[in-house]
Amino acid sequence: MQNILTLLEEATNGTSHKSFQYCADEELKFPTLNYDSQSFTILKDKYGETDTTLKTTKSLKNFAVKIANQKPLFQFFLDGSRRTYKVDDFELNNRIFPIMAGQIGVACCERQTPSKFHSKELERSLVIVLPTEANPETRNNDLFSNNLKDKINNVERVKKSGLQFSKVLNYSSKVSQEVTDLKYENLGVAAIQDEMVNSEKKIVSNLTTKNLLREDSYLVKDGSLQYKPMKTGDYKELSKIKNNYRWVVGVSKQFNPEFSKGKNNKSNAATLAKLPLYHRTPAYMFQHDREKWSYLGDYTYSVWYVRIREAKYTESPFAGIVKIEKILITENEIENGLESDLVDLISANIINERNPVCYGRDSRWANHLYPVYLTEQFLKSQYLSDIHFLNLF
Amino acid sequence: MKKIGKIIATEKVPTTVDEFYFWTDKELIIKPFDVVKVNHIKESITFGVVEEISHLTDNSSSLAGFISSDFGDVNYEYHYTQRIGMNYVKARVVGNSGGIYTPVLDGSFVSLANEDDVKEALGLKDIKNPLPCGYIEMYEQPDSITIPVHFNSHFLIGPEGAHLNISGISGLASKTSYAMFLLKAIQEKYLKGQQEESVAFVILNVKGRDLLAIDEINDELTPEDKEIYNYLGLETSPFKNVKYFYPYSKDLTTSTYGRKGDIESQIELGKAFQYKYIFEDDKESIDLLFSNVDDPNQTMESIVNFIATGQGRFNGITNWNELRNEVYEYTKAGNDREKEITVLSWRKFYRLLNKSIEKTIFSNAINPKAKDKEKRLKESILDIKKNDVFVIDIAKLDEETQGFVFGDVMRSIYELKLGQVDNREESDIPSKIIIFIDELNKYASKEVPKTSPILRQLLDITERGRSLGIILFSAEQFKSSIHDRVKGNCATHAYGRTNAIEVSKPDYQYVPPVYKSMLTRLKQGEYIIQNPIFRSSLNIKFPKPIYKQFKNG
Repeated sequence: MQNILTLLEEATNGTSHKSFQYCADEELKFPTLNYDSQSFTILKDKYGETDTTLKTTKSLKNFAVKIANQKPLFQFFLDGSRRTYKVDDFELNNRIFPIMAGQIGVACCERQTPSKFHSKELERSLVIVLPTEANPETRNNDLFSNNLKDKINNVERVKKSGLQFSKVLNYSSKVSQEVTDLKYENLGVAAIQDEMVNSEKKIVSNLTTKNLLREDSYLVKDGSLQYKPMKTGDYKELSKIKNNYRWVVGVSKQFNPEFSKGKNNKSNAATLAKLPLYHRTPAYMFQHDREKWSYLGDYTYSVWYVRIREAKYTESPFAGIVKIEKILITENEIENGLESDLVDLISANIINERNPVCYGRDSRWANHLYPVYLTEQFLKSQYLSDIHFLNLF
Repeated sequence: MKKIGKIIATEKVPTTVDEFYFWTDKELIIKPFDVVKVNHIKESITFGVVEEISHLTDNSSSLAGFISSDFGDVNYEYHYTQRIGMNYVKARVVGNSGGIYTPVLDGSFVSLANEDDVKEALGLKDIKNPLPCGYIEMYEQPDSITIPVHFNSHFLIGPEGAHLNISGISGLASKTSYAMFLLKAIQEKYLKGQQEESVAFVILNVKGRDLLAIDEINDELTPEDKEIYNYLGLETSPFKNVKYFYPYSKDLTTSTYGRKGDIESQIELGKAFQYKYIFEDDKESIDLLFSNVDDPNQTMESIVNFIATGQGRFNGITNWNELRNEVYEYTKAGNDREKEITVLSWRKFYRLLNKSIEKTIFSNAINPKAKDKEKRLKESILDIKKNDVFVIDIAKLDEETQGFVFGDVMRSIYELKLGQVDNREESDIPSKIIIFIDELNKYASKEVPKTSPILRQLLDITERGRSLGIILFSAEQFKSSIHDRVKGNCATHAYGRTNAIEVSKPDYQYVPPVYKSMLTRLKQGEYIIQNPIFRSSLNIKFPKPIYKQFKNG
């Protein structure tokens, strides 16, 4: 009986090696490719916020208590994740390539009242990633992928399961100099990651179109907003979609403290470790590496840190601190940074999101915000089990 | 119908033929015994009765709760997000509309049931020989429903199943009220007379003036109470054809809690009598006086037999005093006339007898001038008519005498139903006689000596009474202390409020934990009943008593 792998053999003139199939992710950890890299640089001559007098840190405790009984600023919570699998090794033109597959999920949940939390948008998709080498012809890569996708969806086992693959993606099969064992696998995972980021952008775009994101109902995106430039996808040009991010804040649980820069472009990791409870750092302004990705246009954002949990209770001085990012939209913002009042408001709201905690459920509990955690849980609950997914092949 | 949740089946807690689990919104009010329905395969509906409800959240540990309050700040409140939580409900399967008993499937809708569904689910639909036994209330406003519940009388008072046992602590459980509610419903049904069978009642009053005015209306009934009676299809009138039997005493009140004036007026109306025991006719019942005496060698029994058959010096005795004197003779040292029975045994017998026959009910004769007022209880019972209600007051008698009277009553009924009465036509005798006795533990507890004639009588009634038409309605505080064969033969059980020690006894080991704790919280007028025709235990309510209540006993 035909299955996906025999179909691929036919379509690509390759040979399946029927290798061991496994989940390529580390155990339950959603890998965060390090966007927090040097591809973004701090703007030394500019401030991330309008109040330029703030040199040290600022306590928001009283402000947070004051607004605790008001309607929270954040109403939507977005999280994306993917699970990647290596499903086979294929011999193509005497070279061996891994065939990757993935489940992608992006969810946005809405908090209507403190006790009413429900899913607003959900994007789930199954993808297969092949090396570009798999296309026997040199032209019409898109057409080839599309046809292949249809064929895969017509395989008896896939049809029977009621599932559908949404895309066949590609990774470059160019021989690389930095050969590592998992090189191609990483490329495959990156392709899946890009697809996920695309879905995230799509959902933000949907919410904006529906006019759900407003001045008084922000969206918190799990993780960084420092999107890596992508070569493909509908949302590759950030400058075009940046307006969708007017009411969006990125909150990162994990960040590399070494990359947190002070105004002097030196690491301020040590200062950060001593950040007092409910204090925030000044906001700094960052920008894309202009030389490398000039085509992205002006894309700057403010970054600051807030401590939401006392250091003495956490396992490291950085646990309990979240990194907050916001893309700068208006001319004024790009020139002078965010309004300091807005920075305070966002920070105070983040502080008020600190409880309940997911202590005992997630090792990153000290940095986690509960609504984001719930969104993540919802997303996880939507995945097919690994066995189920791998059995499609 | 209103959907309230969905089935959850997991590896650890799967749905089974018997039970299923589902989630509901944490704010949905539902309670144990509520009926829910689940959409099942082939468009059938599976019905379940709620057993347990738990609330659970994603709190991984108690510590997470502590931390979520800013590391133990008691004044901290969740402002923005409450912890995600749901109610997790366990339900017992009671049936499926298509007779399909495979487990319900994960993700199936669970919804509230309507009146018709509930009736179908609990087996309350199309009940033959209906006899109201209360009503059930389910769900909360605006979905609440009330459903009258009927027994099939053939399963309460025979021939299919018989005997009722009611348990619950004094006062709070209102055992007597519930028994009387059922008896009233039975009398009403038979008075309407659409059936060939007939019924009569013998009720023993064991507490104060409780049952000494059951043919008088309770003036404290509110219109709402009356409405419930109407709703259940019952009249708002008290018992009819009631006759009261008071223990004899000259001044009327020495041996009863009844008020003199009341008794006098009842006697005047010809519905009350004083009962007496006359040696000549009742000597065979003396054994009943010793039912709670340990008698491993059956010496007491031999003595009773000795006396009843008129052996030795007992030939020709005509009254209780002579009996006492003769027994005394046997207690004297050196008396060796009767070698089989030792002097010590005679002494013990004398002591016990002497204490008992001091009582005023042991009399030499019925006063010929007061024949309308004084009766031998046995005679009256042998003459019981269809639909009669005999209330026999034993409340003020001491325990031995109470046992004596009760034993004698049972014996008389037995005799009557066995057809050992000469002057009565078979068709004239009520086909069923229902006896109601409270404080059954006095006569049928596990501690009662095996040789007790009353226990033997009770066992006989519960084991064979169904076919003879003798039905026992009994009540006690603690069911666990009752003889297994007595309670085991009861087809219907009613559980009123009880205490935690009681529900920890093995008798309750098959009762789900939530029902157990419910048993300790039941309100007055609320019972959990079990009857063979119901598919599940029912939590029923019944209205306030229809007959006169005495507040201070």
